[in-house]
Amino acid sequence: MIEIQEIGRRFNTRDGGSFEALKDVSFSVGDKEFFSIIGPSGCGKTTLLKMVAGLVKPSSGKVIIDGQAVTGPGNDRAMVFQHFVLLPWADVLTNVGFGLEMRGLSRKESREAAKPFLDRVGLTRFAEHYPHELSGGMQQRVGLARALAVGPDILLMDEPFGALDAQTRQLMQEDLMRLWDAEQKTVIFVTHSMDEAAYLSDRVLVMDTHPGGVREILDVPLPRPRDESARRTPVFNELTAHMWHELRGMMGDPTAPAPE
Amino acid sequence: MSVVGRQADGAVGSEATIEGSGTESTRTANRWVPWLFRIGSVGVVLLIWELYGRAQETTLFFVPFTSVVGALWELAQTAEFWDAYRQTFIPFIWGWLLSLAVGIILGLLIGRFSAFAALTKPYVTFLNALPISTLVPIAVILLGIGFASRILIVFLFGVIEVTLNTAAGVRYVNRDLVEMGESFNAPQWRLFRKVIFPASLPGIMAGVRIGTGRAVVGMVVVEILLVAVGMGRLILRYRGRFQSAELFAVVLALIIFGILLQMVARRIERRASRWKYEMEQTL
Repeated sequence: MIEIQEIGRRFNTRDGGSFEALKDVSFSVGDKEFFSIIGPSGCGKTTLLKMVAGLVKPSSGKVIIDGQAVTGPGNDRAMVFQHFVLLPWADVLTNVGFGLEMRGLSRKESREAAKPFLDRVGLTRFAEHYPHELSGGMQQRVGLARALAVGPDILLMDEPFGALDAQTRQLMQEDLMRLWDAEQKTVIFVTHSMDEAAYLSDRVLVMDTHPGGVREILDVPLPRPRDESARRTPVFNELTAHMWHELRGMMGDPTAPAPE
Repeated sequence: MSVVGRQADGAVGSEATIEGSGTESTRTANRWVPWLFRIGSVGVVLLIWELYGRAQETTLFFVPFTSVVGALWELAQTAEFWDAYRQTFIPFIWGWLLSLAVGIILGLLIGRFSAFAALTKPYVTFLNALPISTLVPIAVILLGIGFASRILIVFLFGVIEVTLNTAAGVRYVNRDLVEMGESFNAPQWRLFRKVIFPASLPGIMAGVRIGTGRAVVGMVVVEILLVAVGMGRLILRYRGRFQSAELFAVVLALIIFGILLQMVARRIERRASRWKYEMEQTL
C-alpha cells in the first residue's frame, strides 16, 4: 500500500517569493491497483510521481510504502519515462538490462536476465539494434521492459505514451493492459489523456491546479479483463465526459459552466 | 541464449542488408563531394603559390611549392632531419599524453563537483586568459633547456582545452539520463561510470582533438622561442641563412605531422562518440 500524506511542495521563485506547486495532497493506492493521476499541465502530477519514486523530496508531508517512509529510490519501484530515456550508446538488450546493471549486476548478467523481458514486449528481434533505429513505440517498449526487468512491486509511469502518435498510443495501452493482467503490479500512471485513464485504471485521481491538489478520486467500474470494447460502453463515456467537465473548468475556459 | 541470440542475429543481418544497400551508397556519395571541394580548394591555393613563387626574382624570400617539396625530399634523405624530428617528437609525446591524462581527470572532477570547480576556477581562468607562450622563458629558467621544460610547455598548451571541454561534456550530460539512473537506486560511483562518463565522451573527445592541436603549437613555439633544438633549430638556421626552400620544407613537415595527429585524434573521437554521430544522422 502506498500512502501519500499531506504532501506539499514549494519552489522559491527568482524574485524571492515562493510558489506553491502542491498543497495538502493525501490519498492512498492499494496493492496491485492500477491508479491514474490526471490533471492539466503544470498541476504537479509528475512531481508527485517523482516523490513516490524518491527522486524529488516533498517540502512537507511524506510518502509511505508498506509502512516505510520513502527517503529515496528503492528496489521495490521502477519508473517508465515520458521520453523513454534510453542510453543512446547501448543496444536494446543492454538498455533493457540497464536497471539491473545499475543495481550491481555485470553487463553480461544483466543482458542475459533481460532477454525474457525483451521477449515479453515482443522486441527479441531487435536485441542488438540501437534506440535511434527504433520507432517511438518500440523505444517505449524497451523503457517498459527495462522497468519490468528489475522485478518491481510498483511501476511508476510518467505519461509513458504521451510522446507517441494516437494509433501507437492505443496499441501500447492495450499491450500494457495485457501485461498488467498477467503481472499484477501496483501501477501509478500519470497521464493527461482522459480516455487512457478511464480505459486502464481502477481509480483515477483528478488533480486540481494552482496549487496542485486532489480534486476528486473516481472509481472506474468497468469489468476486467478489459479490451477494446470497454471504450464503447456508456460507463466509459460517462467517465470521460465527467473528467472533461472537471478539467475544462480548470483550464480557464470562459465558456465552461462553473464547477459546482 | 541460443534461441534469442539466433533470432536477434537473423533480424540484425536482414535489416543490415536492407539498410546497407540504401543508405551506404548515398553516404559514400555524400562523403566524396566535400573531399572534391577540399582537394580542389587546396589545389587552387598551391597553384597560386607556385605561380607567385616562380614570378619572384630571387629565391631568398619566397619559393614555389615544387621547390619546397623538392627541399623536403632532400631533407628527408639526411639523418639530421630525422634526428631533429625525433628530438621534437619525444618530448611532445610525453607532454601531449600528460595533458590528455591530467586534462580529462581535472575536467571530470570540475564537471562533476561544483566545489572542485570553484576551487580550481582561478587557475583555469588564469591559464585560459594567459598566452601560454609567455610562460616559455619561465619554464626554461625553472627547468633548464632539456626535455622537462619542453614537456611542461607542451603540457600547458594542451591541458586547458582538454580540461574545459571535458568539464563541459560532463556538465551538459542529459539530466533525464542521470535521473533514470538514479531511479534505479544506483550508488553515485556506478551512476558516474555507467551513465555520466559515457554520456560525456563526446565532450571529452572534442577536448582531446582541440588539445592535440594546441599541444602541437606548444611544441613548435617552445623550440622557436627559446630552446633551439629539433625542428625549431632547423627553422631558425634556415631562416638565418635565407634558405627559404628548406625553411618552408620544415614548416611543411610540421604541418604534415600536425595533420596526421589531428586525423588520429578525430578518428578516436568518432569511435568514442559513434552513437552520437549516428543518432544525429538519423534525426
